[in-house]
Amino acid sequence: MRWKSKTPCSQKSKEPVQPTNLSLCLRLFYRYRDLAPQLVPLDYSDKPAVTLPYQLIGSMPELKDNPFRQRIAEVFSEHGDGNMTLDDFLDMFSVLSEMAPRDLKAYYAFKIYDFNNDDYICKSDLEKTVNKLTRNELTPEEVSLVCEKVIYEADVDNDGKLSLADFQHMIVRAPDFLSTFHIRI
Amino acid sequence: KKSRHHGAQPSCCTQCLQGASFRRFGNTLSEYFDQLRIWHKTLKIIGAEFGTSVLSYFVFLKWLLNFNIFSFLINFGFITIPQFLAAEPNNLSFTGLELFTGAGYFQQTVLYYGFYTNATISKIENGPSYNMQLAYIFTVGIYFVICFLILLFSMMIFFFRSFVPKTFSVNASNLFCIWDFNITNERAVKLKQKNLHTQIKVQTTGEVLNYSITERLRRTAIHLIAWLASLGTAVAACTGVYFLSVNNLKVRPESGQAAMLVLPVIVSLLNTLIPFFFSWLGHLEKFQTPGQHIYVTIIRNTILKMSIVGILCYYWLNVVATSESQCWETLVGQDIYRLVLVDFIFCLLGSFFGEFLRRIIGTTVCIRLGPPEFDIGRNVLDLIYAQTLTWIGILFSPLLPGIQTIAFFIVFFVKKVSLMRNCQPPRKVWRTTQMMTSFILLLFCPSFLGVVCFFTLRLKPSEECGPFRGLSLMYAAVDEWIQILDSYTAYRWVVWIYHNLIKSVLFFFALSTFVLILTYLYWQIIQGRKTMIKSLRSQITNVSLAFSCIFCIIWLFC
Repeated sequence: MRWKSKTPCSQKSKEPVQPTNLSLCLRLFYRYRDLAPQLVPLDYSDKPAVTLPYQLIGSMPELKDNPFRQRIAEVFSEHGDGNMTLDDFLDMFSVLSEMAPRDLKAYYAFKIYDFNNDDYICKSDLEKTVNKLTRNELTPEEVSLVCEKVIYEADVDNDGKLSLADFQHMIVRAPDFLSTFHIRI
Repeated sequence: KKSRHHGAQPSCCTQCLQGASFRRFGNTLSEYFDQLRIWHKTLKIIGAEFGTSVLSYFVFLKWLLNFNIFSFLINFGFITIPQFLAAEPNNLSFTGLELFTGAGYFQQTVLYYGFYTNATISKIENGPSYNMQLAYIFTVGIYFVICFLILLFSMMIFFFRSFVPKTFSVNASNLFCIWDFNITNERAVKLKQKNLHTQIKVQTTGEVLNYSITERLRRTAIHLIAWLASLGTAVAACTGVYFLSVNNLKVRPESGQAAMLVLPVIVSLLNTLIPFFFSWLGHLEKFQTPGQHIYVTIIRNTILKMSIVGILCYYWLNVVATSESQCWETLVGQDIYRLVLVDFIFCLLGSFFGEFLRRIIGTTVCIRLGPPEFDIGRNVLDLIYAQTLTWIGILFSPLLPGIQTIAFFIVFFVKKVSLMRNCQPPRKVWRTTQMMTSFILLLFCPSFLGVVCFFTLRLKPSEECGPFRGLSLMYAAVDEWIQILDSYTAYRWVVWIYHNLIKSVLFFFALSTFVLILTYLYWQIIQGRKTMIKSLRSQITNVSLAFSCIFCIIWLFC
């Protein structure tokens, strides 16, 4: 829960939302509403149960061409199916905004790269990542060579797969992570 | 069940908290600036189409723009507004050509040092008064101190973000950090994927080439010759600029205003053309990695630009200041104004010829070339050069930051349009976060040319113009003020501080010793932690090895 309360737009946070964050939240709300104006009401005071399907979320210009768009939507959606409520939507872009702390970003990046949801990035997850990054243009041998290299380098406890701790240890100090794991909204 | 709530909670160290609070402070500031929606939208579009590396140029430009607005407000508020109250009428005629030369009509305006009064301004009889001498010296002095601190702190923040301790997982972190989530343009996404494909392919197959001894000697010789050639060009350019400027000072009164523009045009031409020679040299040298190539070219260009600026400073302080002219500070101010203006025009021309015409050629005449890439290194160096000129000129022409603000504003939009119309996303992968650090580091080096200002404090100010007329040194204004304060008992402490701390060598000696000791202490602590990390890391490996051994043995026994 401590981590949740740190996202700039989190609804569950105890402390009052700061005005600067409020502007981001409002912007996000209007973006959410623009996706389906007929479904999303302007008044959220009685907490309507509105969920937008993945097809709409994935067609946003910010996500449309991102090779990881489906994975991002799945990770942040409540049931893991890519369909999003307003809360999920706010969470998603808060984590991807520049205000989210590094550890939180790393946690969600781990989730995104963990394709089979087993809490470890194993070799098959890595292969999927590499294929998405290069549009399936590498030969299977090359892909597995890259994956082996990565696991060999980053796996501190020698269990053949990357745990969250391994991942964080590697990524938290990586210089480019903060600037690349960031979507301007 | 919420899938994202279970799982290990990320561990938190105090370091991250510190980072977060720093970042939050910066973010609150940047959020306020982001309220200006034009910036936000423009930056978003650039990031979406060209990725973070090109974006960092525009972020840097925006940073400089904010910085110059701040400097302009300080100078305008503390020096220019009081001067308006005591202004004398201006009876020089304005023809329009002055906009380019900065001479003539502008000599008698608040643009230059020479126009400012040395009087004490007071509107009401026996009311509060405003001493222009003190205002001038303190505004400029405190401005430089603030500049120094801002640069130091932003360098610290960016360095803190981008600092990488020697990690053992270069490939791995590369793989996970390489996707730029900012990019949302379809064409750019495809290009990026293609680049990654070739990059990974090179990484898996390519090994570092091992050269034989003769080959290595040959390469070293080529590098040496290239360095000699580039340093020689820089020296030759400096000599040329020096003799031209000395000559220019002699002819000035006879020939027309156009002759004044010769020096700045030549300087800008040298600054534009010699980098092409340097990049040609770089191609000849065949560096092992593209990174080396870029950094060596940038270093050579910086040396060139800074030595030209250095030689101009020498000329101003040693030739112009001792010449028989009526008001040498204004002459220097005019020279800097012209340099800034011509540099701005060349910057616009550069994006016309370097990007627009290059695209026309690349897409119609010689299709093999294709549209140009945005040259981040060259453009950033241009910005740093312009900013250095502004810093040097601030004492002689206090409103220069205002002019530079307008120039940067236009450059921002011209570069943006030119980028969107003419350029394609960069093919090379840049280390994006480190770039901002190196930009500010590059900016920090020439800021030492602000030392120039302290040299001017040792020169004799002009007899007939400016706020310090009649004094033997600019600094004498402070001495006089302290003597006046000495007669008031309430301000004795200021006098005490001045005599015992600011003017005493011993105090600065003690201060620097203290800072050195502190630095040494921190350095030792870091060394200790490094050893600690090493031993902990080997412990983790040992423990997991031991566990797997035990499991094997148990399994064998069963």
